[in-house]
Amino acid sequence: MEILIYGIINSIALVLMSLGFALVYGISRVPNFAHGALYVITAFITWSLLNTLGLNYFLSIVLSLIAIGVIGALIYQFVLIRVRGMAISEIIASYAIGLAILEGLRWGGFKGLSYRLPVFIEGSVNIGDVPVDYHRLLTVVVGIALVAFIWGFTHYTKLGLALRGIAQDERAAMMLGIDSDRMALVAMAGGAMLAGLGAILLLPLGNIVVESGYNVLTMAIAVCIIGGLGSWMGAVLAAFIIGFAQILSVVYLGSHYQMVVALLAIILTLILKPSGLFGRQKELEERV
Amino acid sequence: MKAKFFKTFLFLAAAFLIIMSGTNAMAEKPIVLGCPLSTAFLYGWDAERGIKLAVDEINANGGVTVGGEKRPFAVEVIDTRDLEPGVPVSEALLAVEKLILGKNADFIVGGPVRSEAALAAMSLLSKYKKVSILTTGVLTPKYHAMVAQNYDKFKYCFRIHGEAKQLVGEILSCFEDLKTKYGLNRVFIIVQDVSHARGGGEVLGKIAAKKGWTITGTEVYPTGTTDFSMGLLKARKAKSEIINIWMDMPESSILLKQWYDMKIPALPFGSTLAAAEQPGFWKATEGKGEYCLCSVVNAGNAPSEATPWTMKFYDAYTKKWGVEPEGLGSSSSYMAVYVLKDAIERAGTIDSDKVVAALEKTDLMGVYGRIRFDPKNHQVIPALDPKEGAVGTILQWQDEKRVVVFPKSIATGEIKLPPWMNK
Repeated sequence: MEILIYGIINSIALVLMSLGFALVYGISRVPNFAHGALYVITAFITWSLLNTLGLNYFLSIVLSLIAIGVIGALIYQFVLIRVRGMAISEIIASYAIGLAILEGLRWGGFKGLSYRLPVFIEGSVNIGDVPVDYHRLLTVVVGIALVAFIWGFTHYTKLGLALRGIAQDERAAMMLGIDSDRMALVAMAGGAMLAGLGAILLLPLGNIVVESGYNVLTMAIAVCIIGGLGSWMGAVLAAFIIGFAQILSVVYLGSHYQMVVALLAIILTLILKPSGLFGRQKELEERV
Repeated sequence: MKAKFFKTFLFLAAAFLIIMSGTNAMAEKPIVLGCPLSTAFLYGWDAERGIKLAVDEINANGGVTVGGEKRPFAVEVIDTRDLEPGVPVSEALLAVEKLILGKNADFIVGGPVRSEAALAAMSLLSKYKKVSILTTGVLTPKYHAMVAQNYDKFKYCFRIHGEAKQLVGEILSCFEDLKTKYGLNRVFIIVQDVSHARGGGEVLGKIAAKKGWTITGTEVYPTGTTDFSMGLLKARKAKSEIINIWMDMPESSILLKQWYDMKIPALPFGSTLAAAEQPGFWKATEGKGEYCLCSVVNAGNAPSEATPWTMKFYDAYTKKWGVEPEGLGSSSSYMAVYVLKDAIERAGTIDSDKVVAALEKTDLMGVYGRIRFDPKNHQVIPALDPKEGAVGTILQWQDEKRVVVFPKSIATGEIKLPPWMNK
């Protein structure tokens, strides 16, 4: 029972950590290595609004999500757009931005245990014989709702369909009047907001520490490689595979194997199916 | 006109002499203390604060007397990042080398903080003949064992804080109290996947088992882990009564929050538990860390009356940094500077070999008791009584406060169990 419950919780946490990265790459083909930094900075913005300005928690969350969306859009508009299409430059530029943000936060004194966000609901409940706190349950509900929302958004709204069009065939979409750069800008803003939402849901479980930015980036890359770069549904499936594999490894092998499992899954994927589980376009390219 | 000029000249000369005589110590070449510390982490920044507090106090009192002249201390800190996950040991070695060659450090005080990095730095210190006093983080017994094994090579290496074996002894004494008072007998061990923690957990497990304790399991978590639920459930399933924790990563506060939320009926007992050492722990866990025990390695890192100097240091640290001494590294780093000052003054020089000889003869009543080094391995001599040697401290969080519960000679309270554990 505990494997099922904590497997789902862990998987949803991985979904929340990686959806933003998958979305940005899927649409703009930009591997956003600043993803982890955007995750952490959202939490710090929320903390600052909550504690320094004394705003309401919900209002602080909304404002910080808007702020991170704007930051994501600015990063694309002023930096990434200039190197778009040059894979190595995209990686270097986005990683440099991420590094500057994370190390800047550290340099600015954001370290230690002082920075934390309150959980949304206090207390815990026993499911069967397994104790689970309410906040983790809420995270699962929000995670599932988010996946459903993204599916609905990309299938039933004009903007969502345009984003999917660019993701599927950029040239054909452009012939139909869809602006590729504008869609990439929207994707970057949306990806940043998804990273931020992940932080707001997951970081109240612990403390806001700069190091979590690096961990989140590692896990997001692992999930997206296994799921197939560019496929957000693949990312969801991969998150569940890694999430359950980690929990199983903790139960049957030992806790210190949980990171090894994720990295081993990347290596196996790259050997057996380099395009990942749902990386269909890449698969076609590989065949050619 | 000439007379007026002469008077002005005399006045200026007199003023210059008065000013210069007042800052005599400051005019001498400073003795540079190179501090390789992982400054983004507790064991790094609290050591830096302890060192700087001692240096400020010493300099304000005229500095260090070296062969008849007063010289001030100067501090150079380089971030080794050795406590950060994924940062290779070579980074810390580069920091130590840069302090020696680039910053012209006369002595190394503080780190490296991670055991692996400190062990690797020993050869470097030997190569440059730089006296080093470890003051924080490094708990591995291998450090002083290496000095004992190859004294001529590693004689420049000292450690002024407690180490893992001493810690284990103190923790087991505390365990015995818990057995006697509450009938606890089953221990589950949770460690971080780093050298000192793995080693410490293993040693504690072995010794505890020999002493009749039941070890119900061991979990090793990678640095940076943010979910401990499965390990806690294992502990509960195995009917554990104490969870012994060896972790210096900030994420360990999550472990305590989960422990509280899941109401695990086992007392969390941190051998190394950086999160719980800090005064901000209560707020960081929203009070969920109550009843958590942890060792802060040496007295002075939590409030007690171990020696007359303890609270004097405690208050001075709080006044200067706006926070109470925060954990392992605070009092020992502060003391290291005073011990070094004492040794330099007795040696009358900053020559490494002579300072080593003087340090070996150190006998100083400090913040956490009588400070002496074992001349064979350069480890500070521990004791349960501050009059005999360096005393440790184990505290428990009770009602928002860090209450010292061990050793009895300096204890200010007794261990309590959480309500869901009361039989």
